[in-house]
Amino acid sequence: MGMSGVKEFCRPQTARDVVELLEKYGDRAVLLAGGTFLHGLFATGLSSGAKVLVDLQKAGLSYVKARNGGLALGAMTTFRELAESEPVQKRPEFAAIRDALQYPPPQIRNQATVGGCVAAALPLFDLPVALMAVDGSVTALGPRGSREVRLDKFFVDYFENALETSEFLTDVLLPKLPPRSASAFLKLETNANDLALLNVGTHVTLDESGICREARVVIGGGVGKVPVRMVSAESVLKGQRPSAKLLEEASQAVSADLHPVSDHRASAQYRSAVAKVYVRRTLKRAIGQLGIELD
Amino acid sequence: MKHLISLEINGELHEIALEPYATLLQVLREELGLLGTKKGCDSGGCGCCTVLLDGLAVYSCMVFAAAAQGRKITSIEGISENGKLDPLQESFIQSGAVQCGFCTCGMILAAKAFLSTARSPSDQDIRQSISGNLCRCTGYHKIVDAIRMASVNR
Repeated sequence: MGMSGVKEFCRPQTARDVVELLEKYGDRAVLLAGGTFLHGLFATGLSSGAKVLVDLQKAGLSYVKARNGGLALGAMTTFRELAESEPVQKRPEFAAIRDALQYPPPQIRNQATVGGCVAAALPLFDLPVALMAVDGSVTALGPRGSREVRLDKFFVDYFENALETSEFLTDVLLPKLPPRSASAFLKLETNANDLALLNVGTHVTLDESGICREARVVIGGGVGKVPVRMVSAESVLKGQRPSAKLLEEASQAVSADLHPVSDHRASAQYRSAVAKVYVRRTLKRAIGQLGIELD
Repeated sequence: MKHLISLEINGELHEIALEPYATLLQVLREELGLLGTKKGCDSGGCGCCTVLLDGLAVYSCMVFAAAAQGRKITSIEGISENGKLDPLQESFIQSGAVQCGFCTCGMILAAKAFLSTARSPSDQDIRQSISGNLCRCTGYHKIVDAIRMASVNR
């Protein structure tokens, strides 16, 4: 059993108390959010040095609230709570989050948390790709206070994030997005409980005359150690009026930034081919959120 | 090192000495002998260990027992009342939705959590509600029939 080294279970009451425990126990402490990912880490022996489990459930980090015109998502907010929150249900700019949360089964939605999913830094997960598409960042709280880290800087490698010693993730922050912003997310999977073979999050902002002013295209799944921005596809879109032809051009442009891996689940060649299709469909879906239907 | 933990299971309070890494599944089966909850994959993939935590379906193999303190835990043994089966248990029997039976308790609890909020679900909704539960006999049609029957007959 990978967990047999664990001797203590703590339930700190505030975020500050969590930091104190991290300072006290160092590498011997492992944070418990929802637990759906942690059990896998223990089962595979990746957390075998853990002596103390620090349960974040009571630390007051379950909320979806307005912040600077955008949103602050508490680390312990479950997938279900986030999916049922009004901004995610109703606002077109957050539709990518709504899309991403439809994939996991009810049991995972009830238990898995925003903070746990992001901090896990596994590029195969869905929600981080959707959050990156809407320009998310995180709040890291540590002994010297809190700091904000953009998600594209937060993900470093497989299972590795940019948190420093004794820091932990308290919030995911979403910025205020301009009017006529919309996003979407799509995932390619082999069955209902699968990790992504490939997943795509997109975001667009149109101006009053319908020209694309901002675009973000992010691909996760087996395309690298972290989710990857498709900047070439984004620059095809910016300054142009969305059309079926433009979306096709943007999707072809992903070749410049995409270097997928081959593994037992899919070849790099397959992932490259299907990425273009999924980018086109996800962009179409995002633009559809604004009431514009393209052929 | 074992610590004393207090858990509310099927309306009854239990004080149990447990290792801090014990899962809710281990407590139900090994400490309390509530064998209706099954250990399948033990990694959150099959749904056989589904129980309700404050009325929501979760995989008990992925819940640390210590983290379930202060929450209401319901296993299959806790859903009948005064010796009378839950309508879902009845409909599973009547629909022939039990083949080998290994997935049944998890299916019923996933369906129970679902029906507690879904008023008149479509078949698609019902299928979604059990998307976290595998039936190795592949007897899904009758399981969906059973959940639909319970939804109509309540």
